[in-house]
Parts: sequence; C-alpha cells; structure tokens
Amino acid sequence: MKYQSKYNPLFFILLLVIPGAFSGCKKYLDEDNRSNYTQENYFQTADQAQAAINNLYASLRTITDGTGTYAESPYMMLEFPTGLANTEVGQSQYNNTLRTLSANSDNNYFYVWWTNSYNAIANANLAIERIPGINMDAATKKRMLGEAAFFRAFYYFHLVRIYGDVPLLLKPINASSPELYPERAPLASVYDAIVSDLTTAETSGLPTADVSGKLNVGAVKSLLASVYLTMAGYPLQKKENYQKAADKANEVITSGAYRLFPTYAGLRNKANKNLGEFIFQSQYQVGINTSSVNQAFLPRARKITKFSDEVGAVTPAPEFYNSYEAGDLRTQEQQFFFSNYVSVLSGQTVNFGSQYIFKFFDTEAATTAQSDLNWTFIRYPEVLLIYAEASNEAGGPTQAAYDAVNLIRTRAQLPNLTGLSQATFRQAIWREKYHELAYENKVWFDMIRTRQVYNLANGTFDNFVGHALPAGQVLTDKYLLFAIPTREINNNKKLTQNAGW
Amino acid sequence: MNDRYHSIHKGCFNSSKMRKVAGLIFLFIATVLIEVQAGTHLQQMTLHEKNTPVETIFRLIEKQTSYHVLYDKLEIAQVGNVTVDLNNGSVEEALDQCFRNQPLSYKIFSSTIVIRKDETKLQKNAARQQQVKGQVNDDEGQPLPGVSIKIKNAQGGTTTDAAGKFALSVPDLNITLVFSSIGFSTQEVALAGKSTINLALKAESKTLSSVVVVGYGSSRKSDLTGAVVAVKSEQLAQRPSTNVEQQLSGKVSGVNVSTNSGRPGGNTNIVIRGANSINSSNNPLYVVDGVVLSNGVTDVSPISYLNPNDIESMNVLKDASATAIYGARGANGVILITTKRGQQGGQINYNSYVSISTIARKLDVLNSAEFDAVQDASYRNAAKYDPVGFASGKYRDPAAVRRSLPELYDANGKARFDTDWQKEATRQAFSQNQNLSFTGGSAESTYGLFLNYADENGILRESNLKRYSGRFVLDSQIKPWMKVGGSLTFNSVEDNRVDGGQGGLNVTRMLVETLPIIPVKFADGSWGSNAAYPDMEGGENPVNLEINRRNIFKTQSAIGNVYAEVKLLKDLQFKSTLGINVVNQTEDFYSGRFLRQQSADVQGESRITNTRTNYWQSENYFSYNKKINDNHRLDAVLGISWQHSDREASMAGAQGFTDDFYKYYNLGVGSVPLAPTSSYEKYTFNSYFGRINYTIKDRYMFTVTNRYDGSSRFGSGFKYGNFPSGAFAWRASEEDFLKNSTVISNLKLRTSYGLTGNSEIGQYRSLSSLKNSTAIIGGVRGSGVGINTLANPDLKWEKTGQFDAGFELGLFKNRIAIEADFYYKKTTDMLLNAPVPTSSGYTSIYKNIGSLSNKGIEFSVTSANIQSKDFNWSTTFNIAINKSRILALGDANDDIFPNPFFLSNTNIIRVGEAVGSFYGLIREGTWGTAEAAQAATFNAKPGDIKHKDVNGDGAINDADRVVLGKGIPTGFGTLSNTFKYKNLDLTVDLQYSYGNDILNLSYHSAEDRTGQANSYATVLNGWTPTNQNTMIAENRPSLAGYTTTVDSRMVEDGSYIRGRNLLLGYNFPAAVTKKLKMNNLRIYASVQNFFLITKYTGYDPEVTTYADNFAQGITFFDYPKPRVFLLGVNVTL
Repeated sequence: MKYQSKYNPLFFILLLVIPGAFSGCKKYLDEDNRSNYTQENYFQTADQAQAAINNLYASLRTITDGTGTYAESPYMMLEFPTGLANTEVGQSQYNNTLRTLSANSDNNYFYVWWTNSYNAIANANLAIERIPGINMDAATKKRMLGEAAFFRAFYYFHLVRIYGDVPLLLKPINASSPELYPERAPLASVYDAIVSDLTTAETSGLPTADVSGKLNVGAVKSLLASVYLTMAGYPLQKKENYQKAADKANEVITSGAYRLFPTYAGLRNKANKNLGEFIFQSQYQVGINTSSVNQAFLPRARKITKFSDEVGAVTPAPEFYNSYEAGDLRTQEQQFFFSNYVSVLSGQTVNFGSQYIFKFFDTEAATTAQSDLNWTFIRYPEVLLIYAEASNEAGGPTQAAYDAVNLIRTRAQLPNLTGLSQATFRQAIWREKYHELAYENKVWFDMIRTRQVYNLANGTFDNFVGHALPAGQVLTDKYLLFAIPTREINNNKKLTQNAGW
Repeated sequence: MNDRYHSIHKGCFNSSKMRKVAGLIFLFIATVLIEVQAGTHLQQMTLHEKNTPVETIFRLIEKQTSYHVLYDKLEIAQVGNVTVDLNNGSVEEALDQCFRNQPLSYKIFSSTIVIRKDETKLQKNAARQQQVKGQVNDDEGQPLPGVSIKIKNAQGGTTTDAAGKFALSVPDLNITLVFSSIGFSTQEVALAGKSTINLALKAESKTLSSVVVVGYGSSRKSDLTGAVVAVKSEQLAQRPSTNVEQQLSGKVSGVNVSTNSGRPGGNTNIVIRGANSINSSNNPLYVVDGVVLSNGVTDVSPISYLNPNDIESMNVLKDASATAIYGARGANGVILITTKRGQQGGQINYNSYVSISTIARKLDVLNSAEFDAVQDASYRNAAKYDPVGFASGKYRDPAAVRRSLPELYDANGKARFDTDWQKEATRQAFSQNQNLSFTGGSAESTYGLFLNYADENGILRESNLKRYSGRFVLDSQIKPWMKVGGSLTFNSVEDNRVDGGQGGLNVTRMLVETLPIIPVKFADGSWGSNAAYPDMEGGENPVNLEINRRNIFKTQSAIGNVYAEVKLLKDLQFKSTLGINVVNQTEDFYSGRFLRQQSADVQGESRITNTRTNYWQSENYFSYNKKINDNHRLDAVLGISWQHSDREASMAGAQGFTDDFYKYYNLGVGSVPLAPTSSYEKYTFNSYFGRINYTIKDRYMFTVTNRYDGSSRFGSGFKYGNFPSGAFAWRASEEDFLKNSTVISNLKLRTSYGLTGNSEIGQYRSLSSLKNSTAIIGGVRGSGVGINTLANPDLKWEKTGQFDAGFELGLFKNRIAIEADFYYKKTTDMLLNAPVPTSSGYTSIYKNIGSLSNKGIEFSVTSANIQSKDFNWSTTFNIAINKSRILALGDANDDIFPNPFFLSNTNIIRVGEAVGSFYGLIREGTWGTAEAAQAATFNAKPGDIKHKDVNGDGAINDADRVVLGKGIPTGFGTLSNTFKYKNLDLTVDLQYSYGNDILNLSYHSAEDRTGQANSYATVLNGWTPTNQNTMIAENRPSLAGYTTTVDSRMVEDGSYIRGRNLLLGYNFPAAVTKKLKMNNLRIYASVQNFFLITKYTGYDPEVTTYADNFAQGITFFDYPKPRVFLLGVNVTL
C-alpha cells in the first residue's frame, strides 16, 4: 500500500445508522393534548366528578337556547301544535309548520330535542359508570349518582313523550358498542328505567331545598309524580299509578318546602330564583349566560324595551285568552298577559291592540336588554294539580284535592271549587292546568296523555283526534307522537318512523 | 489509516433539550490526517499527458518514482485536466508544469509530496491576469443581458450587461469560458489566445432544458418521469396580484384555482386533479424552499401571506411519481415554491403597480317603487293565504303603514328615498403594490434582499389588506466541499374583513336585503335600517356594519430556513435543512353599541383572539448522482424528516362599553368580561424517504420512490404508513428512428403509479376527548366537563393510489409543445367524519370508510404561431376534465350528508354520484288555478311553489329529494394569447369552466319569501292569476306562509368564460435604458376580469361562502367581484 486518501467507510455505516437511531423515539408521535382530558384519564378525583355533574346542569339550557336558522328555541316545539300559540315571526318555517300541523320529519326541532337529550343521557351514563370508581366521600358520591340518575330520567321522560318508543341506552357507548346502532325500546321499559332512576335519586341524600339551583329531593318527587301520572294515562294506561302519583305529589306538598308566591309578580322577581314555588329551574346569570326566552315573548318590534329585537315568536291565541273565567286575575293587565306597556325608550304607553304573554317578562331586562330570569321546569302549582288530578282519578275528589286546586284559584281571585263529581272535577283540574301552566311546556304533554283537548270555544274537552285548533287545522293521530328526525333515521337503519310521518 | 473521518452527532428526541430545534442539525466534522514517511529520492521521469486529470498525473508520478502524493481531493477538484510534456525530467519539473496556472503548490518531504493550496500564487496569478471581453447575442442577433460566464475548472466569472457585453479577468488566454443563460444552450468557448469573444447563444426549447424542482432535489424537465409543471416568475408576473394563488390560476392544467370572494386576499381554494377526500383537506401541500407550510391559522390558505414577487418558480407536482416523496401528504398534489435568490453582479429591481377596482356586476333588486308595489300585492294576497289571520287584523295595510312613516314617505305615499345599497356600500377602491429588491454577490456568495409593501382596498367599504414583507437570502460556497445558506422571510399582514357576520349582520346579504326606501343616514345623522319599516326582519344597514364593526386580522409570519450542503464524495452529497414557520395572528373584533342584534343589547362587544402557530422541521438527506458511463446515470436520494407543529390560542373579550372609542384597545372598560378561553394542540411527523432515478442512454428513465411516514394523528397502532411509487419514461425522440425527424423534435412517453396519503383531519381525532361547559350554580360560574369526541383507536391513513400516463410532444423544433396526461386516482380508507346515530351522545366519528375515484384528462398546448424579427404570436391552451365518483361508503353504502346544512341537507355523498353533489327537491313551477284540488292535497294553493312528488306518495318530504347538480366543474382551463411587436407585448388571457353548478341559497331569503326584507327583482315575476307559468310563488307576507327549501330553482348553471386578464406592456429599448443607466425598464397596463359570460345570476360563478369541503359553488350572499384596472412599472438597475 503506497498511499491512503480514501474516505472513511463510516459514512456508509451512518447511512444505515441514522434512521435506526431515531426509530427508537416512539414518544415523538404520541398525541399531546394539554387542553382536554380523555375519558380514559378522567374521573380520578371528587372535583372531576363534580365537574361531570355540573355539565348536566349546563345541558338544561339547550331546551331554551336558540337553535336553527331563526334562533328557534326547542321549547317552542311543544307550544305551537297546542293551538294556544301564534307567532309574529313569519320566516320561521319550523315554527310555522308545527303551528299549521304541516311539519315533516325534517323539522329541526325533532333533531335538536333528540340530539340534545341523548347527549345529556350519554354524559349521565358516563358519570354513573365512572363515579363509583373514584375514591371520595361516600355520601357525596351517592348524591352525585342520584343527580346523574335524575338527569337521565328527566331527558328520557321528554324523549318518551315526544317520540314514543326510543332507544334505551343506560351505559356509555363507544365505537365498537353494538348499541351504537340501537333499536327502539318499548315505551314501557323506558318508563321502568325512568322510575328506577328517579327512585335512586330520591334516596341519594339530596337536600330538601337548594337555593343555588342544584337538585333537591322535592324536584325528584315532583318529577316522579308527573311520571306516574303520565304512565297512568295514554298510551300505557297503568291506572294504578294514579295513586302513586298522588302519593308522590302529596309528599312534596306535605314537606312544607314550597309555597305559592302571593302575587304573580313573584314569578318575575329574580330574588325568588329557586325559591317558593320554583322547584326546579334552569339557571341564568347576566355576565355568564343570559336567557333569550324573555325576548322571544315580546310583542314584535313595538320598541317598548331596549332589546334591539323584540321578537314576537310566541304570542297567545286570542281564543285562549278569552277562555279564562271572568275575573281571573291572571288575565288582568301585567299578570300573565299584557296589552300595553310604557316604553322604556320613549316613556310613552304603547298599546299593542291585542294580548301578549307577560308571564316571563323581565322588567329589569327591559332597560338592560340582558335577561337572566330562570326558566322553570317544575313549579309548585303543577304538583298541586297533579295531586288533585291523580287523587281524583284514584278515588274521586277529596278535600285535600279541593284544597290543592283552590290554593291556585284563590291566588287568581276565583271562587273555590266545591261539590264536583269525579268527571267534572277532572275537567276543572285540566282547565286549571291550561290556565295556570300555559306556555310552560305542560299543555302538549297533557293533551297526548289524556287524549283530550280543551275546546276554547265552549270550555269542554274534545277528543284529541279530530280536535280543530283555533286556526282551523285538525289534529290527527299522527300528532300523538312527533317524527323520529330524518337525519337520525338516515344514520341508523334500525330505527322505524312513527305512523303518519 | 484514514485521511478523513466524520462523526455524526446524533440524539434521541426523547430528551427535552434534544427536541429543541438546534439539536436537529447533524454536524459533520472532517479532519485530515497526514501520514509522512521518511526517505529521500532523486528520480527522473517521462510524461506525455494531454488534458489529463491531475490525479492521474499523480498516480503516474507514484508509478514511476517512489514518491507518495498526498493531497486534498476537494482542492484538486478545481484543477481539472492538465497537460504535461516531459522527457526524463525531475518530479519538480513535472509538478511545475502541472501547477503552472493552478493555485496549488507542492512541497517534498523526503519521499512524500504534499500538495497544498497556494494563496500567494493566487495573488500572483491575479497580477498576471489578462482581460477578455466580448459580446453575447441570441441567435437572432439581439443582445443577451444576464448571461452567466464562468471560467471552466476554475473560479471567477461575470454576467453580461444590458447590451450583452462583458469583460472578465482571466489568468491566461488558454482557458475555456462557459456561457450559460436560462433558455439557451450552454456553450463552451476555448480562448486559445484570443481576448475578444463574440458569440451567439442558441435558444433552447424552454420546456426541455428548464430545471424543474422536485421533492428533495431538482431535475431537467427532459429527465422527468412524473407530471410536474413549473411556473416561472415571469409567467406569474403576467397577472399582477397581491395573492399568489390568483397568479397561479390557469397556468397549469388540472390545477383548479377558485377565487371565491372579492375580498382582498381572496378566500382562494386550490384543488389539483379533483377532490380525493371527503372530510380531510383537499388543498395541496405547499412547500416553500423545502419548508412545509402548516395550515393557516384561519380559513385562509397558508400561501396567501406570501409576497408573489418573492417567488422564482412554482412547481406543481401532480402525479404519484412526483408526489410520493411527500407520501403522507402528497395525495392532493404538492406545490413546491422556490423563492428568488441572490445572483452575481449587483442588481436593483423596482416593481410597482397601482390599481382601481370597481364592482364588476350588480344584482337586480327591487327599487323603492317596486318594493311598495310588492308590499301592496302581498297585502292583498294575505287574505288568500291566511284568511283567519287576515280577518283578525294581523296584517297591516302598507298604504296605512306609509302614511304613518312621514320620514320615509311623502304625503302622497311616495318614497322619499331610493337607495342603491350595492352602490352605497361599495366603492372604487385604490390599491398599490411596491416591490424593491437588491441582489448581488460573487461567484462564491450571493445575497438578496426583497421588500414589499402592498395596500389593497376591497370594493366593500373599509375592507382592506395591507402587507409589509421583507426577505433576506444568502447562499455561500464557503468551502469547495460545502455550501451553506438560508433565507428569512417576514410578513406582516393586516386585513379588515367586513364580510363576516350572520343573518342581518352579514354585509353582503344586506347589500341585497336592505330596503331601498331607507336612507343610509337620516337627516339627524342617525343610521337608517330596516327596523324603520314595520315587520321587517332585523337586518342592519350594511354601511353602518362596514364602519362600526371591526374584524381585523393581524398576521405576522416568519418563514425561515438554513441549509448546509456537504460534498462527501465525488458523487455523494449530504444536505441538512432546518425550517421554521411561525405564524402569530391576532384577530381584533369590535361590534359597536348601536348595531342591532349583534351588539346593541350588550352595549358593544369586543374580542381579541390570539393564535400562535409554531412549526419546525428538520430534514437530512443524502443525494448520490453517478454517471456510470455515457449510457447509464443514477440519481438517488435518501433521507429522514422530522416535523413538529404546535398551536396555542387564547381569547379575551368584554361587553358593556360606555362608548365605542375603546374598541379592543381597552377591554377593562367593558362592564361584563367574557369567559376567557385558551387551547393547545400539537402534531408531529416522522418520515423516511428515498428515491432512485435511473436513466439509460438518456432515453429510458426509471424512478422509484418510497416514503415511510409516521403521524401523531392516528391511532396508536396505526401511526406509520408506507407510500411507494414507480415510474417509467421513454424519450422516443432520442431513438434513431426519430432523432432526425423534422416534424417531431421531442416525444416523451411516461407512466407512473404510486400511493400517497392524506392526514389532514386535525388533531386528537382518535381520542375520546372531553370538553368543558359552564354551569351556573348559585349565580356563579361552575365548571362542567362532558363528552366531546367518539374515540376511534383504529384511525389510520387515507390512501390514494394514482395511475398516470402522459406524453410530451414537441413539433417543428418545439414551436408546438403538447403535454397530455390521463390519470386515474382511487382513494381508499377515506378519512370521514362519519355521522353516527346521535343516540350515542355523539354526532360523528372520524373513521376510515369507503372509497372514491377521480379520473381525468389534462391537455395543454403551447404554440409559437408566428415567429419573426418584429412580430411574435404565441398561444397557450389548456383543459382539464375530471370525473369523480363515490365507489363505496361503509358496509351499507349509506348516503352521507355533509355540511353546510341550510334549511335541509344541501349536499349528498352517494355511491355512484360525483363528490360535491347538491341535494334537494325538484321545483316544477307553481300550482296553477286549474290544479287547485291537487294542490290542496299537498297543503298548497294555486300560486304556491310546486315541488315534484318524486316517489308519488302524495306528500313532499325527504324521500322526494334528488341529486340536483354538482359544484365541481367537469372541465376548466385557459386560453391565452400573447402578441409581441418589437418592444410591445399584449396578453389576452381567458379562463373557462363548464359543468359546474351553483347552489344559490340566497333565493331562500331574497326570492322565496317577501315582506321581511328587500328582494331580488325576480319577485316581480311572481305568480298571479294572469302569470301562472312561473317558478316564483305569488307575493305574500311571509307570515301568511310560504315554501322554501333547497330545490332545483336554487341550482344554476355555473359555467363561464372570463376575460381574466388583458395586459399591454412595453419594454424600453436598450438604447433608452442605457442612457438612463438602467438594465431594463418596462411599463404595463392591465385589466383583470374584463368580461364574464355566464348564465349564473349572482355576482360571480367562482364562489363559495362556506368553508366546508364540498361547499364549492354553494353561496349565501357573497362578496362581489371586482374588475381591476392596473398600471405598473418595472425597473432594473
């Protein structure tokens, strides 16, 4: 060998070594999400459990929050087909087709109710599965599980009344669950699950009252009373549940935790949040989440408040207003209705020329354009009326039943009911329910539960099928259930559509 | 014994420090060890070597004597061949002869000769240098400026001046000069004693000689096996624009550039060879000087922020042979952008233009008299459609309304105002663009400094985009064996987007829907709005929105890269690059206290959103270029790549302002703070890639590539994917039977097949991520956590297999150049955000499902129709025809309905149909009087819209919806003619597209319903008992009920021919520029969008107002398009 000026063969070794050296760095490709937990690594502490429960409370707002093209609120779905509500918003197709009974399964409300309810149910299912594994105070754990069970029942109760048979999912779903594509479960099994959940919640150590807006045991019992009453009616007709409904309602009444506000202004007083006759509410607070409900009920563009849009989405049918008994305080100006208002903008009295809903009017918001009046899901008068109706069905009108309904009538400055037969008492209670609980998402469910509809013209009750709404449309048995949403059926071939849709 | 060794500093990225950017560069350390042996020799030798490599001489010396010769291979690489003529001479004599004109010297240590670089000799040489000068022309005798002249096998060189002249110092007059210029054949001239050289360079066929940038390297166009099209800066400059995508439009067949908005900066969408992907992005991968551009921080494409004037070339990689080297992200095509670099000889370039934009088309809407007439007709008809409501007095007589509005109507009920909102809310917008660049350097080092200022005003008032950009590049051959360089680009863009907002806050919608009877401002200075007229939907005055709502995006981006290129062996190079792309964006939003709906209720709302995207990449690769012999060449690339991107975003906001003064500059003034948000996300890539090109006899070319790609985005067991490709090309024109053909000057046939991937689905899609919510407990905020995404641990790569066959044909000395490609692409394991039954609590899951195909033909021809001394005419025509089809969708082939959802599903993905299909009912017209009974069964009356009962079940519902059209064109392309007469040039550039439909959702609110806002003038053709043959329903207040849903009436033919650009330029002759001491002076004028022929009734058929994947062609009120008149100047010193 004479000289050496060759390059090092190490180069070629490195060619092979470099890629090899890095392939050991497997962590480089790991997902690194610092903003959110995954289901797997969550549910380790009591605080995490609390946040999961809080999320269920937050989900209540989906019922009143605006969705869709014209900010229609899901609760409106249950008002328009009653015939008690008109609208001044011409462009809202979803509202108009429900009002004129010409909706089809595309109606966005059907999708929104379905989707939001099942989302909350999935969250409740996850909490119920995972919270037991957390090492935390046993009493708190039990209470949280009770809260989650209540919410699951609350949403299933809506689903079963809106759609009839619905998929009954009580465990979290993942991508490989067969229940990702569920079938509709018979309605009776859904009700059984609801009763079971509410029974769990009832004994979970919830407080008798909670001014912060969290669940109290009275709300559980009230909902259970409503569930029993519904089960006793159509379509299940488990008549024995009338007594159970009466008993549960009576437990609420005798608990002494609730009382009617002396005046209807109490309904609109923010100091009364979660107090008095408000048993269960969706919470609002200016600066965190404001409510659009108030704005939706304002007469359209009359410039009486600082709201830039006074929507007029839901207005009372004049026929309904006229159906109140003469002298009913609730029909007086600025009780449940109003026909004029002193504009906060001009200081002038604006006459509307017809009645509008004042029940949810937020006086403060008129000047701030920010409303945080809570939306009420369960109000004491409903419990009183459930008791009156259920106990009447179970054995005719009792004095306690008269007392319950007369509490409401007294506040309305109406004479007490006395000496009615079971049948006339029944209709008197139903009428009272229309008049007291109108526009609170109660009337529609009573219509399909009883399959009787208040005839606004003569004060009697018509059969649901064949009843003509004030604008002339006639209810058919198609409307005993709403449609399974088109989009959901498109995505789950195991679902069947309800009759007529 | 080693004379060189290298060590590689390597590390694993697990250690946090090594994850840092700096840790990613490989360091190569070279050390030379010299072995010296003792001993003396005095020997004679004989050498007769002509033009022999100096290394060979050394070897002969070693053979004939007992000397060892030690040298640095890289140093002698510059010497090249030498001539030695020696009879029985000494070693010293031989070496003296060898190094006579070479910057080398030698020393003899006993039996070893050490060759060294000789600095003194270099200087001496310089002192002895002689001058060579001359003139370089083209083959038509015109002087050629900018020709590069280099001394062969040595250092030193120059370029010709504007007159084609040059002067150069050379060591002696026996050297050889190499003349090269883009577009001309490189020519070598041996001086052979002459000191004056006059030369005519032969023009080369541009398409063949031009260098095309491919992934991790470059290639001569003639050597390519793949479908790659290069667009040079001169071509881009034909259409001056602030936006580079708009400049690219039409330049490459098969590349569909849709400028979907008239907003400054554009909202441009690029799709190459059809859309492959349903949910992940269909945009190509952009690589700037090797740096992958991460996705934009907003809906804006990442290259929108580049200064077009910085771009030297855009190379579009279309087929799998070309894109597979980018494996994972190559499926949508790759656009490689090379930026301008420095060049030898100082040069200053100034390029400036100013422009005026005006609204190119206006829509016909109701004027005041027509509006009142429609209101009157509607009122009369309310009784028919809502008799109960009408009887109850629900409807107000417009005549009475007018009487109650004295500020809007005079005593005779005549409107006081007739406002043309499209005029009031738009303007003639003045824009300017200034570019200044400095380049310079020597043969070893070049640098460039590029500056840009652009101020583009949109035709909507207040809409504006300003860009400041600066870029510095440096390239240096710091050692004969090492080249280093880099570039740093800084862009600062500020744009005010006035066209955001929903519903009545959407400026572009309110251009149409604001009532003509309303003034912009009332006499008292207050803003007019539809609220001044009863029963209107609450839309805001568009001028008020433009002025009192601010939505300003401030984006600062830095793109930088540094590289080191090391010559390891004669044929082996190593290149290490480090790239960064940092984007900081602040979105400032303020909506004033008097804007109804949006912010009046909350007394003004302000939000500041900050997003910081941080991207870096480290890529290291070896290139091996070996000419085995005259017939065989081998090029190979092998490398590794690491990429990392993370993004942090935060938002702060407040409501409740005491006045509009503060905007977003003092959130503390707001009485109600909004809940702040912040987020973090990250993704990483790790890839290994390689490519082998093998060329036989310059005729048969083979390419094999592979990329093994890993991404953090997929399930833990599916991180890596493999993306191979193979290609073959045959240059038939090099074969004997065609070589001498007078007709066919170039014929290349090529074909390729390969797999590429797509991973653009965002982060964390395989995980069961949770999300937070806000509960209110006791009046205070309570944090909630709930489900968000449905986990798919099996999530994996979407793959596209692409077959391509094409040919390139040059006729008559390439005066006609044709390029055509056929391709078939099949995408499988499509990444789909598939809807799931929402009973699960979730709405969708990311999964791999189904397949789709795209097949198409691309054809382009460039023809030099007339070539003469004074007059040239050339034509470019291209067309791309693409057909897409969904092949399979999951187990059951169920339809999928992608967004945007508008009243009902707007789109459908159905097996057998094209992607981007529109979906809805068929509108047959309106129910006639004679059909009253039939109409009643559908809940309708004569005068109502009549939809087709497709399935005949007696009801109009979802089952009656059908595919109505598609948003993606069947074919599109360009026809461009350039005429040159002496120094004048004229370019006429036409663009066309056919087979694409527009889903014009604006009919929903501007035609289907009346009485809520202003309408299109088409409602004047609404149904009446005497006008029954119409698509448009009878006028009525919307409260009386109306029908609207996505239907065939909203689907319009979007085919068009556009006069895209008309450009007239003048290059001042050399005589003038010389007097002005300039190298080049050009002025030009252009009209862009100078005509538009289309049946479409909206502003422009190139449109989408949605960001969804298949929303191309779906519009709900868009930013009108401008016609642009432009004047520019380009000066080179």
